Amino acid sequence: MDLELAILFLQQGLVSGLVIGSVYALLALSIVMIFKTSEVPNFAAGEVFMAAAYCALFLMVFRALPVWLAIPLTLATSFLVAALFRRGVLTQVAKASGSPVNLVIATLGLSYVLKGLVRRTGYGDTPRSFPALVSTDSVMIGQASLTRLDMAIFVAAVVVMAAVFWLFAYTKVGRSMRAVGMNPKAARLMGVNIERVHMLVWGLSAVISAIAALLIAPKILMTAEMGSVVTMAFAAAIVGGFTSLPGAVVGGFVIGIVENLVGLFISSRAIVVAPFLVIMLVLIFRPQGLFGGRFAIKKV
Amino acid sequence: MADLLELRSVSAAYGRIQAISGISLKVPEGAIIALLGANGAGKTTTLNTISRLVPVTSGSILFEGKPIERASSHAVVRAGISQVPEGREVFRDMSVAENLEMGAHGRNDRAGIRSDIERAFDYFPILKERIAQKAGTLSGGEQQMLVIARALMARPRVLLLDEPSLGLSPLLVEKIFSIIRRLNADGLSILLVEQNASVALGASSYAYILENGEVAVEGTSADLKQDDAVRRSYIG
Ligand SMILES: Nc1ncnc2c1ncn2[C@@H]1O[C@H](COP(=O)(O)OP(=O)(O)OP(=O)(O)O)[C@@H](O)[C@H]1O
Ligand SMILES: [Mg+2]
Repeated sequence: MDLELAILFLQQGLVSGLVIGSVYALLALSIVMIFKTSEVPNFAAGEVFMAAAYCALFLMVFRALPVWLAIPLTLATSFLVAALFRRGVLTQVAKASGSPVNLVIATLGLSYVLKGLVRRTGYGDTPRSFPALVSTDSVMIGQASLTRLDMAIFVAAVVVMAAVFWLFAYTKVGRSMRAVGMNPKAARLMGVNIERVHMLVWGLSAVISAIAALLIAPKILMTAEMGSVVTMAFAAAIVGGFTSLPGAVVGGFVIGIVENLVGLFISSRAIVVAPFLVIMLVLIFRPQGLFGGRFAIKKV
Repeated sequence: MADLLELRSVSAAYGRIQAISGISLKVPEGAIIALLGANGAGKTTTLNTISRLVPVTSGSILFEGKPIERASSHAVVRAGISQVPEGREVFRDMSVAENLEMGAHGRNDRAGIRSDIERAFDYFPILKERIAQKAGTLSGGEQQMLVIARALMARPRVLLLDEPSLGLSPLLVEKIFSIIRRLNADGLSILLVEQNASVALGASSYAYILENGEVAVEGTSADLKQDDAVRRSYIG
């Protein structure tokens, strides 16, 4: 491969990687924020993402609702379903056994329920395309080409990330979410209604997944299996240390970029192994993840 | 003096293990009451039933005459009961300032919160120097001061203090107890759990001694200090 082509690939890989990486980053954020507050890896994250996309598809295409109504409705539904799942299922499971394994199994249960629901409606039987809200005209950045839609995805994702960071760092509700993650007992003694905080975290996490779904859906073919991108998000979360929000974002971008570079420089068939390669490298050279601090000490 | 907080034969269990049974005690307004006993006697459990972290299996807890044994933990804090847990449960990755703000979680009066933070610094000047430092990096003594200051941020009427002297040098114990006395003089009622019986009896007016989850002995602190059996078992 000559140098000029390599430089072109590099640019294209970086730019495309940042776009898809921003979606991974959002999904990773939604996983990490739940894990940080309750130490439950949410294995339903992919299906929440998928179901939100179908919810929007249903409202916009089959009910012909205008976008300005369909999007808030989708986000509100995602929030409610996730918050109620936390309240109605996880809390009860925790009360009944207290074993974290059962909570994880409950999230697997949710993933099957959501997939089953989408299948039942029949909309998930054939691959469908989601209407693009932004034109797919192409734009050049350096020598890399991408579409206006890609740029909108990236910008929207970054805005959402900034909002999440602002919430966690500077608002009272964000502070109580951090408090519950750090020391739930002390949080209760401060008068924090922990159950409410967990519901908010789940709801918020689902809203972020839903935004990721709305952003990426026009670029992919929708199927009931589209939630499998969550593998990339888990990879991103692991790369970032699994308990760090900035880590999740950086991890998302790293996975997105590596995936694209591998696709361009090696082969598109090698893409699937790219995230595992990154995870392996990170786990070997920095087992706590790029941003993981106390992960190991925390539970002692 | 009216009783601010009263436990009437309160029992609590962890699953099938009975932790405390039939505990009755009173915290009169303005008093420091000591709750003593050996390891595993049920002191922490008693405080946690009041803070509603541990469910009450029978009996009742009255605060200002109203039953609170079915209330939620956040309602109890809002009502005016704050606990300083044993083992300095700070929010490790938060700054000292944020820890104090967490203490004011149930409040929305920004100006009042700010002036209470200043008041906390008045009791614990060292915290002002550490204001931006992560709580996890404070020394044990500083963390103990922080958790007390944090509990005060809720403007409690009763403070439940769980072993504030644990692991501190005699000098620091002295310092913490002089602050406890000062808080009490400023109008705060205190239920003080201690293993260090001589210090606790010195600070309190009345004391209860727990054994195996039951009140074994009670009396004025002055009497208990003189009591031979108590001296032998708890002061040594
Ligand atoms: N979370 C728990 N689960 C099961 N049993 C518990 C739990 N916490 C305490 N216990 C048991 O309840 C009893 C009372 O414990 P508690 O912590 O109230 O004692 P304590 O007087 O505070 O002791 P220490 O002075 O060591 O702090 C002990 O037998 C203890 O083993
Ligand atoms: Mg104890």
